[in-house]
Amino acid sequence: MVERASLPIGLWGAMGLLATLLFMQQVGLQWPAASAGPTGLGQVIFFYSVLPRAAVALLAGAALALAGLLLQRILRNPLAEPSTLGISAGAQLAMATATIHAPLLMEYSPGLVAFVGGIAAVALILSLTWRRGLEPVSVVLAGMMVALTANAASAALILANGEYLFSLFIWGGGSLVQQSWYPALTIAWRLVFGFAAAVLLLRPLAILGLDDASARNLGVSLHATRFLIIALAVWMATTVAAEIGIIGFVGLAAPALAALSGARSLKQKLVAAPVIGAILLWLTDGLVQLASGPGGERIPTGAATALLGGPLLLWLLPRLRMFEWPSLAASTSSGRRVSRPWVLVILIGIGALVAAVVGLLVGKGPAGWSIASGTVMTDLAQWRAPRIAVAAAAGGLLGAAGVVIQRVTSNPLASPEVLGVGTGAGAGLAAVLLLAGMPGLAWQLTGSAIGALAVLAAILILGARGNLGPERLLFAGIALNALCSAVLTAVIALGNVQSYVLLRWLSGSTSEAGAVHALVGFAALLVLSTPLLVLGRWLEVLPLGDATARALGLPVRAARTTLVVIAALASAFAAMFVGPLSFIGLIAPHLARLLGLGRARQHLVGSILLGALLMIVSDWLSRMAAFPYQLPVGLFASLLGGPYLIYLLGKGVQRHG
Amino acid sequence: MSVQRLCRPRDGLDGLVALPTRRDFLALAAALLTSSAASASATRVAAIDWGMLETALAIGVVPVAATELIQFRKIAVEPAVPEDVADLGLRGTPNYELLRIVAPDLILISGFYEYQRASLERIAPVSSLPVYEAGRPPYPLAEASMLALGDRLGRAADAARYVAETRDEIEARRGALKHVATRPAFIISLGDSRHFRAFGADSMFGDVLERLGIVNAWTDGTSYSAAAPVGLEALARVPDASIVMVAPLPPEVRRTLPANALWNALPAVREGRVAVLDPINHFGGLPSARRLARLLAGAFAPQAGNG
Repeated sequence: MVERASLPIGLWGAMGLLATLLFMQQVGLQWPAASAGPTGLGQVIFFYSVLPRAAVALLAGAALALAGLLLQRILRNPLAEPSTLGISAGAQLAMATATIHAPLLMEYSPGLVAFVGGIAAVALILSLTWRRGLEPVSVVLAGMMVALTANAASAALILANGEYLFSLFIWGGGSLVQQSWYPALTIAWRLVFGFAAAVLLLRPLAILGLDDASARNLGVSLHATRFLIIALAVWMATTVAAEIGIIGFVGLAAPALAALSGARSLKQKLVAAPVIGAILLWLTDGLVQLASGPGGERIPTGAATALLGGPLLLWLLPRLRMFEWPSLAASTSSGRRVSRPWVLVILIGIGALVAAVVGLLVGKGPAGWSIASGTVMTDLAQWRAPRIAVAAAAGGLLGAAGVVIQRVTSNPLASPEVLGVGTGAGAGLAAVLLLAGMPGLAWQLTGSAIGALAVLAAILILGARGNLGPERLLFAGIALNALCSAVLTAVIALGNVQSYVLLRWLSGSTSEAGAVHALVGFAALLVLSTPLLVLGRWLEVLPLGDATARALGLPVRAARTTLVVIAALASAFAAMFVGPLSFIGLIAPHLARLLGLGRARQHLVGSILLGALLMIVSDWLSRMAAFPYQLPVGLFASLLGGPYLIYLLGKGVQRHG
Repeated sequence: MSVQRLCRPRDGLDGLVALPTRRDFLALAAALLTSSAASASATRVAAIDWGMLETALAIGVVPVAATELIQFRKIAVEPAVPEDVADLGLRGTPNYELLRIVAPDLILISGFYEYQRASLERIAPVSSLPVYEAGRPPYPLAEASMLALGDRLGRAADAARYVAETRDEIEARRGALKHVATRPAFIISLGDSRHFRAFGADSMFGDVLERLGIVNAWTDGTSYSAAAPVGLEALARVPDASIVMVAPLPPEVRRTLPANALWNALPAVREGRVAVLDPINHFGGLPSARRLARLLAGAFAPQAGNG
């Protein structure tokens, strides 16, 4: 998957040596107690805590790397791994649900629960992208969206069931603390089985790395083999998830690093990737232990791997070879155009207004459904109006950002969520919370803005190296999204007051919206969408391709940069108000296009209004569905968008034209 | 449902029309009116914070509304919350609309919920009495805030009595435990079968433990009352300490903890010095402190627990 060997094997030797030294230091700390303890307790700690922890680090690292390698090979997708495919999120949702609703199941077989969740997530993603031939970008995007929806649902469950918060926090962080050999043995025999199966399937695996036609000609029973290997990889990954929690990035980075280190054939990679994965996780865990104090570990190992792995992934990106797949950079001509587009835009606007009025008047009270009027209405309006306004503004901002990103990248599956700007805002918020304890709203907003802009800057710098091609832009966003999510997971895993603030933000709530929020939201919408309307020609021309755009006298690079900055700011503002909501930024532009709004300015305004409409409906549902308990808006935005996404992907967005 | 019916304003809470359950609604409106008429002089309180909910109930003030009552009845248990207290939903995102309809005269929060103050103050005055502050033992603060709440709600005598009773009860239990509970103790809650949360000196659990004359075995730092997550091997640092676990225990623990080699090797486990207490509110007020004292006494000296 990589162009050239550039990492000497010596580097891995050095890292392995460092990990060994860290381990020896732990041994040195524990050994005196182990050899001289009067109670035998020191011995037990040494043999059942220090040693199995090292074993689990090595085994889990190897298992995740092997799972990642198999998934990447079989899907021919260098970004496939348990977290990008939503396997971890699916396992987490299944385990959270089982903990609360079927504790017996969790008591006896957490591994099975995790496997069912993981395999369900993969099955969903594969069925969504089947007709697109499991195209890498589609698979990863579908994975991201399945993960977002599952995470929103998990967050809702966790928030509503305070008694298990702590357990789920720990699990989400991924801790390697051990007190028996059971997890090590469980992972070990799955790893042995997985490795043996991979060796036996060496030939079909090698062939499946080619394209489908060659594979079929060579007589490989395509689907059966594929599913078998995918199930094997999911089994290994979810076993690790069930035994120690979420460990990100090892599955992604280890195979790529193996290739960068000179492993060329599949046989070499099957050995090199697990070895590198084992070293990576062992070293990370050694560093985590080195930094830990008497009050426990400051960073859970799972989150630490993401902190180390994220930058690694970004460094890898420019070195990743582009895919054999036909480029996604296709013109985005729409099927049909309506004869009077602006009438349609006005109708959508009226629809949004009607939704707002219904949201303002209809609601549940202590005695069931009611329609407010008179003084009660004016009274309740001071609560409902700001929420509706903030939801509408956020939806509009996402709709605008979606149109810009889809047009700039010429990628029908791009969306502001993909840029990672929303989770970047979350990482900024997390940083401010960690530094200042309980900062005021202004500081929280500042932190979010800085986080969002930092992510944006990173994308621009990375993208500039790769000449900002559509795929690289998306992958940079996906990588940053995963990195920022890991930061959020790490902070949430601390389980303190700040964790609750982040969890609340993550689940997306318009609950605290006041008049100020509404004003800021609408000001942002106005300030950011006006230049887009003025620059409508850029949006019109860019999807035609760079050559055409240049021929038409467009300053291509400057235009792209300007538009991306505006889109990122819009996503950042939306995220600040309603969390890193998924789907609206993807769906609103598509709906607008499907309704027949093809030209840039109509498309933009239509998408803004549709985004607002969708968010108003989501907000209302979140308030009503479990009254008086309020559910996360993000969950409903996802649930409204999910079925549409299935429709869209199932229909098969055309690759060309 | 006819259009006229949808739009016709009702008397009572005028303008709010119940669609499917109009009769229930009228009954409720009537109930709200009579209850407020009956105790016209009393302040109608709503509690966002669970500790304040406990405190109010303990001094004989039944709030008109409080948060997450389903969880409260499972986890905090005491004092019992009457069925007619309106449930405002999650503590993190209370239902402001419902709170507005309930229209309390005073809203009780704590430092956790300061971010809600702006929204809450649009409904009624907000009172935030400090109990949990980093590095400070919470018991004296809980006493002070109960007395302050009593003053504010015209229940000063009840508050003073409850504070004195609680103090006496803890003193009595301390006496009963004097020769029974001689070892230090960890007071923890389990996250999974490998990790726990340790309650330190600035937690109500740790403070009550000390007041009962039991040395808290967790002497290291805490982050806001507790240190978490900590690996179980930390329990080996004080080999002669007992271990007190506060429920609820995660479901898998019942199967995995007995298979945990390190857990089984801990002196406390080998010698049967482990107790599991029923759930107690981690961030409670005096009623939680009292519940903890009773449960702890029961665990250490079964005969003393009934007293």
